[in-house]
Amino acid sequence: MKFKTDEVIGLEVHVELNTLTKLFCSCPTRGSSEPNTLTCDVCLGLPGSKPVLNKKAVDYALRLCMALNSDIDKELIFSRKTYFYPDMSKNYQITQYDRPIGVGGHLQLPDGTKIGLERVHIEEDPAALMHPGGMHKSNSVLVDYNRSGRPLLEIVTKPEITSAAQARDFLKALITVLQYLQIFDISDGTIKADANVSIKASGYTRAEIKNISGFKEIEKALMYELLRQKEALLQGQKIVQQTRSWDSETGITQSLRTKESEDDYGYILDPDLTITELTDDWQKTIKETLPELHHDREKRYKKEFNLSSDDAKVLTQDYNLSEFFEKLTKEVDPILAAKWARRELARVLNYNKLDFSDIKFDHTHFSKLLILLEQKKITETVAQKILEQLVVKPFDVEHYVQKHGLKMVSDSNQLELWAAKAIDDNPKTVEEYAKGKEQAFNFLMGQVMRQSKGAASPQEVRQILKKLLK
Amino acid sequence: MKIDSELIKKVAQNARLKLTPAEIKTFTKDFADILEAFKKLDKLKTSGEPVLAQPITKKNVLREDIPKKCLSQQEALKNTKHKQDGYFRGPRAV
Amino acid sequence: MKMRIDEYIEKVQNGKVDMVLKTKKVLAEIKKINKEYHYFNVICEDLALEQAKTLKKNAKSKRLAGLFISVKDCINVKDVESTAGSRILKGYKPLFNATAVQRVIDEGAIIIGKTSQDEFGFGSFATNVGLGYKTPLNPVDKKRVCGGSSGGSGGISKLASFEHVSLGESTGGSIVAPASFCGVIGFCPTYGRVSRYGLIDYGNSLDKIGAMGTNPEAVALVQEVISGHDQKDSTSLEVPTVDYAEYLEKSIKGFKIGVIEESMGKGVDVQVMEALNQTIKKLEFIGAKVKKISLKQITDYAVPTYYILATTEASTNLAKYCGMRYGAHEKLEGSFNDYFSTVRSKHLGEEAKRRIMLGSFARMAGYRDAYYIKAQQSRQLMVKEYQKAFKDYDLLLCPTMPVIPPTFNEAKKLTPLQNYMMDVMTAGPNLAGLPHASIPLIEHKGLPIGMMFIADQLKEEKLFQLIGALQQDEVQN
Repeated sequence: MKFKTDEVIGLEVHVELNTLTKLFCSCPTRGSSEPNTLTCDVCLGLPGSKPVLNKKAVDYALRLCMALNSDIDKELIFSRKTYFYPDMSKNYQITQYDRPIGVGGHLQLPDGTKIGLERVHIEEDPAALMHPGGMHKSNSVLVDYNRSGRPLLEIVTKPEITSAAQARDFLKALITVLQYLQIFDISDGTIKADANVSIKASGYTRAEIKNISGFKEIEKALMYELLRQKEALLQGQKIVQQTRSWDSETGITQSLRTKESEDDYGYILDPDLTITELTDDWQKTIKETLPELHHDREKRYKKEFNLSSDDAKVLTQDYNLSEFFEKLTKEVDPILAAKWARRELARVLNYNKLDFSDIKFDHTHFSKLLILLEQKKITETVAQKILEQLVVKPFDVEHYVQKHGLKMVSDSNQLELWAAKAIDDNPKTVEEYAKGKEQAFNFLMGQVMRQSKGAASPQEVRQILKKLLK
Repeated sequence: MKIDSELIKKVAQNARLKLTPAEIKTFTKDFADILEAFKKLDKLKTSGEPVLAQPITKKNVLREDIPKKCLSQQEALKNTKHKQDGYFRGPRAV
Repeated sequence: MKMRIDEYIEKVQNGKVDMVLKTKKVLAEIKKINKEYHYFNVICEDLALEQAKTLKKNAKSKRLAGLFISVKDCINVKDVESTAGSRILKGYKPLFNATAVQRVIDEGAIIIGKTSQDEFGFGSFATNVGLGYKTPLNPVDKKRVCGGSSGGSGGISKLASFEHVSLGESTGGSIVAPASFCGVIGFCPTYGRVSRYGLIDYGNSLDKIGAMGTNPEAVALVQEVISGHDQKDSTSLEVPTVDYAEYLEKSIKGFKIGVIEESMGKGVDVQVMEALNQTIKKLEFIGAKVKKISLKQITDYAVPTYYILATTEASTNLAKYCGMRYGAHEKLEGSFNDYFSTVRSKHLGEEAKRRIMLGSFARMAGYRDAYYIKAQQSRQLMVKEYQKAFKDYDLLLCPTMPVIPPTFNEAKKLTPLQNYMMDVMTAGPNLAGLPHASIPLIEHKGLPIGMMFIADQLKEEKLFQLIGALQQDEVQN
């Protein structure tokens, strides 16, 4: 393959599916944090145990293949990939070899770029290892098989990603698709990636970075690795093809003594499992029950809620935001909800350097706020201020408005008092206004609003000020 | 294909077996003997034959996604001597 | 003396046998036999007595009430050390019964112990026992081998004076070979007919659990009880069970039996040839039509095909034995590679190492296509060759083993390849997953010689029909 860009990245992403049970046994995938309490003979690899395939995991894999436009194989076939490691219950992993469930396809990023895919396949997760005292110092490992056998999908991209930021965007976009498909739970499901990284200056000699967790980490790991390669070249070193591990604590990649090369896995068909035909009927059922994907939802928002293209796009790009918005539309005017969910919330989050996923309040807080606004019980200014507080710590919005006297004031007596005070306190400004300076009026408006803590109805204040200044 | 002690050592390492020099010698000889006899398979015309995991094909054996009772931690750890605080203990992972 | 098995079971069902007393006698007997012949890795006295006690209360309607069952060591019995005859599994006590074991227990059988075997089933003589295990001796001549790998099952079946059946296991002939050498019936069902759940794997696409014993009714009954679909084994077939015992009563008049021509050739002992000829005469006498049939591909390629497939699968199955979760443990030292290698090298026997090596090699990149893939395809050709044969024949016949039971000294002199060639008759039906049985028809100077009959997929009842017919013939003569 001929590369052109300065940086070339390919990703192998492992996604944990949110099925209730593991891939080859009926142990729950969730529900206990105590080590080794979600296990059975199958996921512990006890002699005599036999795997039986979870249909739901196949359903979910089919969903993803369809959403990514991958070609789906007629048959689902599992192989044993043999290698020895303390996290392996059988020292072979049940995975797919030369017949992955999905081949090809692509994922589109928000900016329109399409990243091509090599394959999608199903496999089982190994156990979780703990290294008391650190991985390199520890004399032994502690093993928790609760994770062993959970279903994973591996998505392998073509080496078409051209920067660390794009790799992050890819993962983010992938997570969005997974969420729309309802096959991945972002709150406790893990997403991991291995990355092939190379740069033009080295003639595209690849390093493989193993075990990067989460989409925030991926950008860091790749930025580090790309920089490392560039600096190594500057210092006259040669880039060698190697496997490196990402250490999120220290923020560096380290050369890994390779466990096994692809040659040594000695794949064989898993003789404990039989062929699964992915029949037309089965695929049709999956297709017909495929949850609404974000492009469809975007279209629906425009049609159903009359949202602008831009609002519709932004609101659907983040699944959680979209779900949040959907709930708001049941309570308040969708246009108002869109404006606030998209712009005001984004502004406040941005200011606080937070992500949507970080917010603690739920849609009920937000819809109460918007209802008050819609019913003109509070002003926009007050609503904005409350939102700023909500992001920090959720509270009962109505109670807060009561307590702090933030209800919109349109009582003209009160407003006249405030207006008179503003005029008395600022004779110079009044003078300037008389000379025709419009800005001076705005300043006086501001003074009134400040006295009311933002609760004064701006229209009323304007009228009263105009009257008094005549 | 050359069957020599190097090949035997490579296979042994892959299979996580530490062989004694005597074992390497024996297995090199056995491999040569066995693989020579198995060579006759080369003559068998098999192109186009399917590669199937079992002699009797059974398809679409699937399980519903319904959780069942697990082993207790005590049961899970019952057969191992290497355990600590509810975990299995294993050798260093590097 | 043993009574008819149905009469015995009925007596137990009706509470007319003191099962605790009887079990104690049985345990004493097998302990005595074991001292001399080494048929058991474990005798599970407590379990047997407990089951005997339970039987006192609810034996009614239990189809195997009071039948004593020994279980090949590789088949899991809950809380009873199950090691598949390997030191690397020393101490492993399964948390569950194998489905086959559970089914016989549910029908009132009494489990007496785990029978000795070649380590993980890796042998045809039961001489490749694991490190620290004793080799079972032939029940009719202690200088000779039992046959393997279910050697202990074969031996105890021959010597038990009580109502007994053994659960054996076959990957490439491990039920019929010891049956032949010990002079008992060895029955191996269609692949997938009996659940493999709880069976410690050798070659998962080949492993089958079957009954061994001297009493045809008991063998038929147990074989029926252990058969049937099991959700815990994905390869278990969803086909209804058959009342095999009923077929023991049926005539085989008009049965077409094909004698495998290639089994009459070189490499077969003269005594065995003679036995085959006598068998043909006997079959003709009781009304079967016997003709020769050539199964050239199978005879030529079965042994290499079998050894490649069985060992590749075995090499992955045995990867998990590394001293972490069960079985042999060593002090945790060094990196995982060192530790795993140390445990495996120290506790696996020579033949286990050899087969792991062979299997690892056959699936390694660069060799995989020439060995593993080739063998998979070769197996499919054999399936087809058999299918063709069964269009014309009800059963196929050949000697079970090409030789009479060798002495330990003779066996020791054989190279690994010569050992593997002992499976020339049995590898075929095992590869194709076909039901087959070894029947003790002939003796040569007191040494048993078994004849093997092969039926088409899921046609186990034809084998029982034949067993029954031959037995009636014996009774009449």
